[in-house]
Amino acid sequence: MQNSHIFREIDNSMVSLKDNVLLMASLTRLNLERAIHSLLTRDVDLARVVIGDDTEVDELELKIDHLGMDILVRFHPVATDLRLVITSMKMACNLERISDHAVNIAKRAKKIGKSTEMVEASVIEPLYSMAEKLLRDALLAYTDANSDLGESLKSADAGLDKAHKEVIALLSSRLENSDGRAENLLHLIFIARSLERIGDLAVNIGEDSVFLSEARVIRHDRKASGPGGN
Amino acid sequence: MNDLVDKPSVAPTTTAAAVEIRNLSFSYGSSQALKDITLDLTENEVTAFIGPSGCGKSTLLRCINRMNDEIIGTRVTQGEILVKGVNIHHPSVDVVKLRRDVGMVFQKSNPFPSSIFENVAFGLRMRGERNKSVIAQTVEESLKAAALWDEVKDRLHESALGLSGGQQQRLCIARTIAVKPLVVLMDEPCSALDPIATAKVEELIWQLKHHYTFVIVTHNMQQAARVSDRTAFFYMGEMVEFSATKRIFSNPRVRKTEEYITGRFG
Repeated sequence: MQNSHIFREIDNSMVSLKDNVLLMASLTRLNLERAIHSLLTRDVDLARVVIGDDTEVDELELKIDHLGMDILVRFHPVATDLRLVITSMKMACNLERISDHAVNIAKRAKKIGKSTEMVEASVIEPLYSMAEKLLRDALLAYTDANSDLGESLKSADAGLDKAHKEVIALLSSRLENSDGRAENLLHLIFIARSLERIGDLAVNIGEDSVFLSEARVIRHDRKASGPGGN
Repeated sequence: MNDLVDKPSVAPTTTAAAVEIRNLSFSYGSSQALKDITLDLTENEVTAFIGPSGCGKSTLLRCINRMNDEIIGTRVTQGEILVKGVNIHHPSVDVVKLRRDVGMVFQKSNPFPSSIFENVAFGLRMRGERNKSVIAQTVEESLKAAALWDEVKDRLHESALGLSGGQQQRLCIARTIAVKPLVVLMDEPCSALDPIATAKVEELIWQLKHHYTFVIVTHNMQQAARVSDRTAFFYMGEMVEFSATKRIFSNPRVRKTEEYITGRFG
C-alpha cells in the first residue's frame, strides 16, 4: 500500500474516485448477470429491471467523469496518481458500454421471453461464463494493479472469440430451417455478439490496468513503454 | 476555538460572510491600485487571490487588516470593508485589536529572535494574559493545531531561528492562531518553501479552515486550485472574476481569466 499524501484531501478524492469505479463495476456485473438470467429463465420482469437500472450506471459514469476532472483541476496529479485518474475515467467509459450491452441483452431476452421457448438459448451460457470471467479478471487487474493478469486477458479473449464464432455458425445454420423462429434466432445472434464485445471491452480494461500499474502501453499490440518510459 | 478574543474589536454577527468588501477603491498617492472591488469572504472557507504582479491582490489583502495604513500617501478613496459586520475604518475601531482578529502570515517566515515558546506566547502576552498555565496551554494547543508540536515539544525554549523554513512558517501560523483570530490573511505563504513544506502548510490550511476564515494571495495557481474554495482573479486593480475555485479552473466565465490561468498572458 502506498503512503498517504501529505495533503490528505488528495487521498480523500482518490479514494472517492476509486470507490465509485468499483461501485459502477459491481452494478455493471450485476446488470449483466441478471440480463443473462432473464434470458435463460425467460424472466421478462427481471429483464425490465436491468433496463431500468442502467440509468444508475449512466449516472455513475457522469459522476466519475466529474470526480476525475475535479482531481485534475485541483491537484494536478502526476505519476501513479495521474494514471489512476486517467485509467478510472477510461474504465467508467468501458463499464458504461458493457452495461449498455447488458441492456441490449435484456431487451432481446424480453422479446424472446414473450414468445415460444428457444432451446438454442442454452448456447449463450458458456459465452456468458467466458465473458464474465474476462470482466471479473479485468476488474481484479484494476483493483490490485495486477499487470500480469491485465496482460493475460487478450489471449483469454481469443477463446471467447472462437466460441462466439462457433455459436454464430450454429445459430446461422438453424436460421435456414427456422420455421418462424428466425426473429428469435437473430436475437440470440445479437446477444452472442454483445457478449463477444463485452470480452473486448474487458480486454481494454485489462490493458488500461497494465498502464495503471506499470505505465506500459500494450494497446494495439504496442510493445514499447508508455510516455516517459524506456 | 474560533471565539472572538476577550475584548473583541468587532462584534460577531450571524452572516456567513466573515469579511464584506464593498465598492472598495484604494490609491497609492495618485496611482489607483484597486478599483471598485466588491466581494464577500465566506466564513470557514479559503479564498484565493490570484493575478499577475501589480494587479492589486496583495494590496487588497493588506486592506483587510489595514496594514496599508503604515504606508504614507495611501488611502481608501471609496467603499468600505466590514469584518463581521463592523466597518474597519470606523474611528472607534482599535487597529491593534483589528490585527489580532485579522491575523497575517507573510511571504517570508518572520519568527522573533526568541524561543519557540515565546514566539507563540507573544500575542497572548501583548493581549495582557499573565496566567502562566493559560499561556502554556494555549502555546501547546496552537503548536498542535499548526502540526508542529511533535517536532518542537522537546525544544520549546530553543531559538525559533534554528527551525527549518517550513517549520518557521508553521510557527508563524501557530503564533497567528494563538490569539484566535477570525480571519487569517496569507501573503504568498509558501513561496520560499520546498514542495514538502508547502504540502504541510497546505494541509494545515485545509484542517484549520474549519475554525478560521483564510485568504491567501498566491502566484502559484496550482496552489490556489488545491487549497481554496473560491478564487478571485485580479488584473490592473480590478477584480475580473470571483467564483468557486473549481469553476474558475475548469470553466472560467471571463476570457481574461481563461487567458491568465492557461498561461496566455501575464
